[in-house]
Amino acid sequence: MLEVRNVTVKYGNIVGVRNVSFKANSGEIIGFIGADGAGKSSTMHAIAGVKRFEGEIVFNGYAYHSPKEAEKIKPYLSLMPQGLGLVLYDNLSVKEHFEFFRNIRGVKKDIDYETRLLKMAGLYEFQDRLAGHLSGGMRQKLSLILALLPRPKLLILDEPTTGVDPISRKELWEIVDEFRKKEGIIALISTAYMQEAEKMDKLLLFDEGEVIAKGNAKELKESIKDYTYEGEIEREDCFSFNNRTYCLKPLNLKKAPPLLEGVFFVNALKKGKKNLKINLEEKDVKLPEVVVKAVGLTKKFGNFIADDHIDLELKSGEILGLLGANGAGKTTFIKMLLGLYPIDEGELYLLGKRIKSYEDRLELKSKIGYMSQRFALYEEMSVKENMEYFAKMHDLSPKETKEKIEYFSTLFGFKKYLNDFPKDLPLGINQRFSLSVALLHEPVVLFLDEPTSGVDTIARATFWRFLREIKEKWKISILITTHYMSEAEYCDRVVVLKRGKKIVDEEVKKLHEKFPGLSFEEIFIKYYEESG
Amino acid sequence: MKKFFAVFKKEILVFLRNVGLVFILIYAFTFDIYIAGEGIEVKPRNVSIGYVNYSGELLAQKILAHFHAPEFQKPKRFLNEEELKKAVFNKEIMVGVIFDKGFEKDFIRKKEAKINVIIDATAAAQAEVSVQYLTQTIYSMIDGKMPLNIKVYKLFNPNSNSKWFMSLSELLSVVTMLSLVLIAVVFVKEKEAGTWDIMLLMPANGALIIFAKIASQIFILSVGIVIGIGLILFGVFDVPINGNLFYFFLLTFFFVMAMGGIALVIAAYSNSVLEVSQYTILVVMPLLFLSGAWTPIHSMAPFLQKLSIISPVKYYIEGAQSIFFRGTDFIDLLPYFMGEIIISAILFYLGYKKMGRLF
Repeated sequence: MLEVRNVTVKYGNIVGVRNVSFKANSGEIIGFIGADGAGKSSTMHAIAGVKRFEGEIVFNGYAYHSPKEAEKIKPYLSLMPQGLGLVLYDNLSVKEHFEFFRNIRGVKKDIDYETRLLKMAGLYEFQDRLAGHLSGGMRQKLSLILALLPRPKLLILDEPTTGVDPISRKELWEIVDEFRKKEGIIALISTAYMQEAEKMDKLLLFDEGEVIAKGNAKELKESIKDYTYEGEIEREDCFSFNNRTYCLKPLNLKKAPPLLEGVFFVNALKKGKKNLKINLEEKDVKLPEVVVKAVGLTKKFGNFIADDHIDLELKSGEILGLLGANGAGKTTFIKMLLGLYPIDEGELYLLGKRIKSYEDRLELKSKIGYMSQRFALYEEMSVKENMEYFAKMHDLSPKETKEKIEYFSTLFGFKKYLNDFPKDLPLGINQRFSLSVALLHEPVVLFLDEPTSGVDTIARATFWRFLREIKEKWKISILITTHYMSEAEYCDRVVVLKRGKKIVDEEVKKLHEKFPGLSFEEIFIKYYEESG
Repeated sequence: MKKFFAVFKKEILVFLRNVGLVFILIYAFTFDIYIAGEGIEVKPRNVSIGYVNYSGELLAQKILAHFHAPEFQKPKRFLNEEELKKAVFNKEIMVGVIFDKGFEKDFIRKKEAKINVIIDATAAAQAEVSVQYLTQTIYSMIDGKMPLNIKVYKLFNPNSNSKWFMSLSELLSVVTMLSLVLIAVVFVKEKEAGTWDIMLLMPANGALIIFAKIASQIFILSVGIVIGIGLILFGVFDVPINGNLFYFFLLTFFFVMAMGGIALVIAAYSNSVLEVSQYTILVVMPLLFLSGAWTPIHSMAPFLQKLSIISPVKYYIEGAQSIFFRGTDFIDLLPYFMGEIIISAILFYLGYKKMGRLF
């Protein structure tokens, strides 16, 4: 039994999470769902006894109020922190990891149990391999079985599946599921994937440092069924996303079966948040049909082939989703297209022109917009200073610059943040500000590298609506990478990479026709398994 | 040119917003130089002295009377040799003097008189100088008995003011260190923050970005140097300037370009600011050793002397000392300038090539 009573975690004056309370019985999986910075990790760290908190936590009859008091329960709990294989040491083999963790956790060697763990994770044959040479999915499975090594009664996993390939994700879930049934452990798992919520017994939905809803997936969905409609509309007091519209006022639309993400939309509406109006003016742009064309692009790092003969065409006015797990070669591929990495083999055409030399690229740089992972911009400069800098680099006049800043900050709703520093912005605002920087010089093609990871549901929905508008009204082609398979839904076409090879290149519509009734997640697992 | 200034302005802004770096710059160009000038002494100062006297009081006290503040603490009397030795061992006393039983008698009879001295050689420099001081004191007591007299004329620094020398040396060391760090960091920070790719995707020539970034750091350094010279060298220590300060700045410029070349190589290999500092220490130590900043070059091992020809710091330090203390004319400074310019051209070319490949 785990009982959390009014737990608040503070970082200096900033509240990480406020007044969390819940109960968990042995054998239950408790899901923490929410964006980065919503309070999931803070709550987990408080329960694991690694972070100071206010309130009380009771585990199997023992109450603790501080990390010091929590020492007593530490032998019974395992925490797997966020980040792919962060607890692993690249230069130790799988076997050595077991020895090391046995020693630091003070566990006796139990060959049967360890063999069982290794077999479940599919690592039995790889015991001599260095952790640094394991794939992302394998690393994550190794981290998980190491966490299970001391036979914990309380297992805390912080985003164990983020960025992991769909098959490994499935296997991770199977391991957790078996253990909670057989050993009766309580598992607290945070995730950014809504689909995984179905597998949990109880869910806590986090938003802005608060738990906004509790219950199982069915109950939560039930609670918003009166507000969920079919189709998408453009209204200030409604949110529309993914072929659903959420509105507190009755609408003259057909009701639709609710989705879990709807809870976040309804909560935002209840808090009085408004839908951002999106209305771009049409631009008349003439572009060749194929904007970017890659033929047999290959990139090697030593013996490792990051991208293996990949063909790709990006057509004008299209959103192309480049999907794949961490380490599948997405970022490397984008960097080749951008000319940041030299190409080892293959040909690249931009706007019909073959790109070979540095000079070719320099000429076309002004046609490309790029938004890098984690929206990296200059931390030491305010939003406005950043924009002014980029405008100058793109030869915009001071008058144009002023107009553009005004235009984009109004359009993307970050006008009141103009004098703030990027790190002080909410992630969703930061994301749109980065997008505006990428659009400042009116590019014809936009490359977005994981622009939605960690961003909350509403900001993500808004972002996708913007991308659609930009594509339709400004005729900009967009190439976007993501590890959320479900986001494929919003692309026109998807390309899926698996370990440097292309395994899918198909229009989204056609995929649905081919596999009626299946979700994208399921379709991709099918492709993944087929490709071996 | 507009883009050049955009980058330049951006880097200055980024620097000013980085409280830690601003603090280091100000500290290095003020307190650090002050401490070096004030703290590193080759004269004895506040040395603890102890003695044991088995001989008569008169002569011993006459000698001991020469040990006074500020060079020495009041001599402390010990009853026997063992206790004095213990005190030296426990670091309570740095110099121990033992007057033997027959000392006074022997001295007066002009026989071989002997004073035993125990020194704590872990404080080597201070102890050595104390012994010299003791020797001089004794010679002056038996004045006229020596047939030879040395008359010394001290040029350029008549009071043998070590503060002048030390503070200028430290200023030059700070310039060496900071020029490496600042120029490397201005590139590596982009890598660390993940903005490197965005920087490369700017429709601007790579050379323009590289030069603008370096120029911004040279500007920051110049401000630091002006503060260091104005406030500490001239303000606190009254260091003379016998030559033309403009030549010093010109020489500094070429020197910083040479350091910039090394910094570019460091930046090309480093992925984080931490790595920069590690590489910098690796590079700075031999550079300073070979420069003559700490040991005069002609007292180094022969092969090191040859090696020092390629050290850009050597020309900088010798040139700077000539400008400040000797007031050398430009024509006589030419060798330093030539050496600095040649090395700077080579190093900068190498660094630029290395960094340019990343653009």
